[in-house]
Amino acid sequence: MAFEFTAENKKKFEEVVKRYPQRRAAMLPTLWLAQEQHGWISPEVMEYVAKLLELTPAKVYEVVTFYTMFNLKPVGEYHFQVCRTLSCQLCGAEGITEHLKKKLEVPLGGTSADGKYSLSEVECLGSCGTGPMLQLNDEYHENLTAEKLDALIGSLK
Amino acid sequence: MPTLTIDGKQVTVKDGTSVFEAARQSEISIPHFCYHPKLTIAGNCRMCLVDIEKMPKPAISCNTVATEGMVVHTKTEKVQALQKNVLEFILINHPIDCPVCDQAGECRLQEYYMDYTLTESKFREEKVHKPKKVDLGPLVMLDDERCILCTRCVRFCDEISKTGELCITNRGDHSTLTTFPGKKLDNKYSLNTVDICPVGALTSKPFRFQCRVWFLKSTPSICTGCSTGCNININHHDGTVYRYLPRENEAVNQVWTCDEGRLSYPFINFGRLIWGMLKKEGQLVPSSPEPVLSEVVSALTRMGAENLVFVGSAYESNENNAALKKLAQGLGVTDLQYSAHQVDDPYSDDFLIKADKNPNRAGVEKLGFKPFTGGTQLKVVVALEGIGKQDLLRLKEENPMMLILLASNQSEAVEIADVVLPIAVFAEQVGTFTNFQKRVQKFEKALNPKGQTRPAYEWLGEIAKRMNLSWEVASAEAIFQEAFGMKYEDLGKEGKVLGETRDK
Amino acid sequence: MEKILTKNFELKNSHTVEVYESTGGYRSLKKLFAMQPNDVIEEVKKSGLRGRGGAGFPTGMKWSFVPQNIPKPKYLCVNADESEPGTFKDRYIMELDPHRMIEGIIICSYAIRANTAYIYIRGEFVFPKQRIDAALAEAYKKGYLGKNILGSGYDLEVYVHRGAGAYICGEETALMESLEGKRGWPRLKPPFPAVVGLFGCPTVINNVETVSALPYIMENGADAYKKFGTEKSPGTKMFSVSGHVNKPGNYELPLGYPLKKLIYEDCGGMKDGKALKAVIPGGSSVPVLTAAEAEEATLDYEGLQAKGSMLGSGGVIVMDETTDMVKALTNLAHFYSHESCGQCSPCREGTGWSHKILKRIVAGEGRQGDLDQLLAIADNMMGKTICVLADALAMPIQSYLKKFRKEFESYLCQP
Repeated sequence: MAFEFTAENKKKFEEVVKRYPQRRAAMLPTLWLAQEQHGWISPEVMEYVAKLLELTPAKVYEVVTFYTMFNLKPVGEYHFQVCRTLSCQLCGAEGITEHLKKKLEVPLGGTSADGKYSLSEVECLGSCGTGPMLQLNDEYHENLTAEKLDALIGSLK
Repeated sequence: MPTLTIDGKQVTVKDGTSVFEAARQSEISIPHFCYHPKLTIAGNCRMCLVDIEKMPKPAISCNTVATEGMVVHTKTEKVQALQKNVLEFILINHPIDCPVCDQAGECRLQEYYMDYTLTESKFREEKVHKPKKVDLGPLVMLDDERCILCTRCVRFCDEISKTGELCITNRGDHSTLTTFPGKKLDNKYSLNTVDICPVGALTSKPFRFQCRVWFLKSTPSICTGCSTGCNININHHDGTVYRYLPRENEAVNQVWTCDEGRLSYPFINFGRLIWGMLKKEGQLVPSSPEPVLSEVVSALTRMGAENLVFVGSAYESNENNAALKKLAQGLGVTDLQYSAHQVDDPYSDDFLIKADKNPNRAGVEKLGFKPFTGGTQLKVVVALEGIGKQDLLRLKEENPMMLILLASNQSEAVEIADVVLPIAVFAEQVGTFTNFQKRVQKFEKALNPKGQTRPAYEWLGEIAKRMNLSWEVASAEAIFQEAFGMKYEDLGKEGKVLGETRDK
Repeated sequence: MEKILTKNFELKNSHTVEVYESTGGYRSLKKLFAMQPNDVIEEVKKSGLRGRGGAGFPTGMKWSFVPQNIPKPKYLCVNADESEPGTFKDRYIMELDPHRMIEGIIICSYAIRANTAYIYIRGEFVFPKQRIDAALAEAYKKGYLGKNILGSGYDLEVYVHRGAGAYICGEETALMESLEGKRGWPRLKPPFPAVVGLFGCPTVINNVETVSALPYIMENGADAYKKFGTEKSPGTKMFSVSGHVNKPGNYELPLGYPLKKLIYEDCGGMKDGKALKAVIPGGSSVPVLTAAEAEEATLDYEGLQAKGSMLGSGGVIVMDETTDMVKALTNLAHFYSHESCGQCSPCREGTGWSHKILKRIVAGEGRQGDLDQLLAIADNMMGKTICVLADALAMPIQSYLKKFRKEFESYLCQP
């Protein structure tokens, strides 16, 4: 299926392009818009973005695969991303991941069969003083404990 | 114009010259993978690190501008250790599959390993695995495990062919050279990426597994694919041509050549006429040279000059066309025409590929041959190889009494010929072509003529001798000198543009 | 102590323009526009302010490298790609006092004669970005941004550019590449960004905390700023404390502050009363300090250098006696090999190789010779790459192995 921006996103794209003296600089904002609309960056999305930015698709592909936040496959409705870097590890990040694996019944890097939950480990999220922590979709959840996690999962119905 | 010292040698270079190029100019070679003089500087391989006095850290010579009084060391123990250590990193994830690698024998990794390392790797971990046997494009195969991520090929497609098909995906030691999913490395210059790949990651589909490179001999020549006249080296072994590689000529092709041109060599190996032919009872049959020559001489003697048309070729060398002209003049023939290879809808661009697919149109025209028009009363046509499609149709229509053809390969023209003399192709003789810039460029003899073939000028000389024209079978250079008023050595390295008096 | 950067953090609605203005915010602009740009640069030079992102380069000097007599536009990039493990100060400035940063952006842009500034913020910082977006809208509305700011004739557009998950984009040249829509591959230097930067134009890249210090310097003068800190490291700095302390968080301190005091007084001491084992004083890249070294160290550029480490980004990671240093280093090796951009050979291969060896050691499959091999890899990466990411792993490898070698040896199979 060919991908196309909604009328609203087309307008947003036109606004974004004006911020830069070079069209290519609109790459990340355009990919963000696309991911917000489509949920992930499919090859069709990359081809569409390449056309908008007047580049070959390879020049979009190399960017998409460089940045970890662009999803190269669909992710669950709720994406748990547990910080695994040193400060959080010192404060028990491993336990958080283990707890989520069991509770969500999702392997690390996987998505539940119903497409509801995805679980991954990520590198430092800049929230080291409030570890262990995770990012659930766009939101940070800090100073986590098993109880807090259970309450969080419980709220996602 | 800074003067610097490299390994104790003083060298003065132009402003802005890199330490790497300054070293090259004083014949000091610095090992490198990613640096290429025609591409932007990536500085990623780190192999060209050198020690520069008063600099706190080793510097990459490719991105360091030479300055006055700089003192550079490229061969000290310290620098050799740097190079050895960088090489060790580059090799840890390399498969070291040299026995089955086409690059073996011309691989920078192998060469530098011999120069700097010669010890076992200390790497004892699982290597990163990446795609192997990737069908990258119609002419290029990729082995990602061999790739050292120097990005030369990516930069080539971005900066030279401007087609942008290649990219590096992912990060860290998972970085991978690839194309966009479902897209191919498919452009008119794609095989240059194979040339500039310093390792065996990119290989040429037509060349892979054909011949080990250490068997190949290399002979400087000129590509006959179009009127650009790209400078090439013919790589051959045991009488067979295996590949053309571009040869540097800043004034013509820099260091590149197009795929079509570089793959235009099979006519040298295949479909060759290696015997003379005579028509017997309406059928062309093979013949030894003597009867063929006798038939030619008898036909030319029988017919008056007014019944003869001599047809040169935009595909043949200046020397062969000049010899044809000389024979014509000796016989008093004034009708000099030439034919050319004709292609429907020829591709051309503003880089190296010209629509005119003949290497020597400017040359044959300069010698006074006129484009082929035929003639209503054609009796005998003496033609060099390379009769174009349109010309052939006309020739067939006009149906001359006799077509004497000097040809190297089977063709439709041969089918309608009455007498055929087998000639050597350009790769089997010395000669010159004049390209579209009117630049005269020399090619060398790579192979011995096959079977009974001889260069056309030799056959024409034989004919002249038998017809008692006061003409010796001359060397190619003698013919050239007579026709152009200069020697081969006057052509220099970049060839010589006719009408230009300057000498570089 | 008087606070400079964090003084509004406790105020209700500190992120709004009203609250910021009520505490004297944007007042420095009047003074700014009355000055010549070069005089602004001189004042900042005089203040001794150094880059707070990690490298500590003198800010005024960085600005002075921007050539003024060329017709190209100039750019300011604000580095809000805070990703150095252990560091979370810029995030709090952006969340709690975004206008301070915006005022700083105006000061810097005016000084270097830039009419466009981009705030490059890491992709994960969704909430801080919302705060900045809102603050920018307020600032435009109030006439602090846009055309003819406060009637000065000076124009400035500020845009937020969101990253997408790549530690390396905090490196200033990778940041520019990323902003230009490419992979975050650090550029070769020279040329330096001040001359050939964003879109090939002269560019200054300053950290969020650095620009946020500017309003104070403009308002109160360089001398007032220099009253804080030490002679060679003037001013205040935010320290992000994480790990095994009772009160982790951000602390704004005058440079030269004793590390021991920060841990035992400001942060309420070690968690659960455990003993201190080690401290990473400036973000995960810098050499680790033993407890003894940490207890003597002062938090300033020179003080930490004297202890063989660096002030870096001010990310203080505190580790107690229960910490497994082998696992800690393995964690960092995972981070740096994951974040290596893959461009140059020593870093691409060396970070991955180190991580593989360490992972094997942690798994109980360490061999004699592994530790020396790790040191050799560190040595062969250090100082041989385009940017300093390789050094950022080499330094921990060297310092952990030097200071905690026995712990590593206990993991190895006996010969």
